[in-house]
Amino acid sequence: MVITENLSKTFIDQKKRAVKAVEGVTFTAKPGEIFGLLGVNGAGKTTTLRMLSTVIRPTAGRAEVAGYDVEKDPAMVRASIGFMSNSTALYGRLTSLEVIRYFGGLYGLQGKALEDRVEYVVNKMNLHEFKDRLCDKLSTGQKQRVSIARTILHDPPVLFFDEPTAGLDVVTSQTVMEFIEEARDNGKTIVFSTHIMSEVERLCNHIAIIHSGQLMGAGTVQGLKDQTGEASLEKAFLKLVQFQSEYAKS
Amino acid sequence: MNRTWHVAKKELQEMFRDKRVRTGAFIMPVLLIIMMVGLTGFLVKAVGKNEGTKVHVVKSTSPLLEAFRKAKFEVVDVATREEGEALVKSGKARILLEIKDSDNGQLPIDAIVDPKNQTGQIALARVSAVVEIANKAAIKEIFRLKNIPESAQEAIKLKVIELQIGDKASAGDMIVGLLPYLIIIWAFYGAMGIVGDLVAGEKEKNTLETLLITPAGRNEIVMGKIFALSVVSLLSSLSSLVGIFIVSVAKLPGSEVMFKGGFGVSPTAAFTILVLMIPTSLFFSCILVAVSSYAKNSREAQTYLTSVSFIVLIPAIFSQFIGLTDYGSTLWVNFIPILNTANNVRLALLGKATMLPVLCSIAVSLVLAVIGFVVTVRMFNREEVLVRV
Repeated sequence: MVITENLSKTFIDQKKRAVKAVEGVTFTAKPGEIFGLLGVNGAGKTTTLRMLSTVIRPTAGRAEVAGYDVEKDPAMVRASIGFMSNSTALYGRLTSLEVIRYFGGLYGLQGKALEDRVEYVVNKMNLHEFKDRLCDKLSTGQKQRVSIARTILHDPPVLFFDEPTAGLDVVTSQTVMEFIEEARDNGKTIVFSTHIMSEVERLCNHIAIIHSGQLMGAGTVQGLKDQTGEASLEKAFLKLVQFQSEYAKS
Repeated sequence: MNRTWHVAKKELQEMFRDKRVRTGAFIMPVLLIIMMVGLTGFLVKAVGKNEGTKVHVVKSTSPLLEAFRKAKFEVVDVATREEGEALVKSGKARILLEIKDSDNGQLPIDAIVDPKNQTGQIALARVSAVVEIANKAAIKEIFRLKNIPESAQEAIKLKVIELQIGDKASAGDMIVGLLPYLIIIWAFYGAMGIVGDLVAGEKEKNTLETLLITPAGRNEIVMGKIFALSVVSLLSSLSSLVGIFIVSVAKLPGSEVMFKGGFGVSPTAAFTILVLMIPTSLFFSCILVAVSSYAKNSREAQTYLTSVSFIVLIPAIFSQFIGLTDYGSTLWVNFIPILNTANNVRLALLGKATMLPVLCSIAVSLVLAVIGFVVTVRMFNREEVLVRV
């Protein structure tokens, strides 16, 4: 379970001015469902996920991940999550297997427990062919499969995906989305951040629309369409973020 | 602690697979020593031998010319002093001698040189040595003819007695002057070459965030990275010793000049150097990781590090000359970071290192390492430093 209550983050920029990146975001993501964070680039999705994964601290509000408060029990939160984004890189001078084992060690796995999990993820993500190859030599799709293997190695109950398919080809995107669906079916709590409407429609049970750091709407895909009276999620989204095209403005 | 070692192990694995580390931190120090010893040996030999040195002489039949020829000088006749001076001015002649007529039993010789020409000064020193030998031979002959004891040639006889202080085996002057500087420099530069990748590079490649999301504490991550970098720094600094050992054992060119008394680095000296360099490498690594943590990317880190490197360079350069002063044996030098280590390495090579200065030096390096570590951990906890890209 992931719960946020009025979660906010204010950064101080180089001119010492307060910049509100996220303001009063409240939502709940439940086990066995995919919760989508939908917003344009710079809307505050990544900042929200960074707060949930304890990389940065909220300036107001609270959040709970897998039953642990992000500020009071950050270590327990980190042990309970898997995080993957399209920009997450691998260590180029290590092989796929070495990267996976390295993260296994960081998650406290060792000995047989580690080897069993490594074997599981290698089989699951079908890494056999390139498991001993340096990550620098892998294709984008292969890297993404290793990234997923790293993310699920410690079998976390909560998974965060930050635009995981951005920049990927159709086949690799499909692999990632199938994996996310499978994780949902296995009862994981999934928070999925994206700006791609089709992915949201396919994957998400519930969504929250974030714009300029604020929650502009939340509910099911159909619920948001009904709420806005629009036929497509894209139009519902634009209505909720009060988008006016340059043409309309003039 | 387990995770600290885990991070350190992974960092070392990555570093040793990096060609830049293998060449920059380990091979280069060895090659540099081989080249420097070879070059220094060549220069010392070239400066020390008379063979082939040309001495231009204004046409003369003085028997002294024979003494020059015997000393392997090449005597070149010139017709007039003006012609010879023109050759000196144009750099074609190093030294011009005009042997004048004997006056009151003394043979006056004008030695004309360009004071700004170093080879001219070397030639002058060699000519002076020949003249001194000829003078001594002439005096000896006069004393013999007058039945005066030969010992009267030197009214005062200075006898030098060298006391053995510290270890019997010690390195030669050139090694003592050069090695502390190189050991310090490579401890810093060996690690500097890779530190950009260690934190700033991880920010740039987006691997740092993945690391921060794991249950590993930030202290553990910082410590792991510092330990790994310290190992590279230490090995890089000790590579100079390996270089010296290779030159000495393989008797490479220049070794006969640099190692007249053998390798010269006793096991005690090597152990003292190791003990001194462990905290120094730790201290350097803490500074380097702190700078790398502050930088947005590896390029920015390298820019900062270039400026920081001067802080290391200045005391390291001064350490080469401290032996020319009395400061090397004062206690306060042991409280000046970097210079203290270099000076104690120098004393260790001379077989004169003592416990108190070595301990002071280690303590200072360790205190600075702890300060650097605390600063780096604080930076790792400051999200504006960590996530700014």
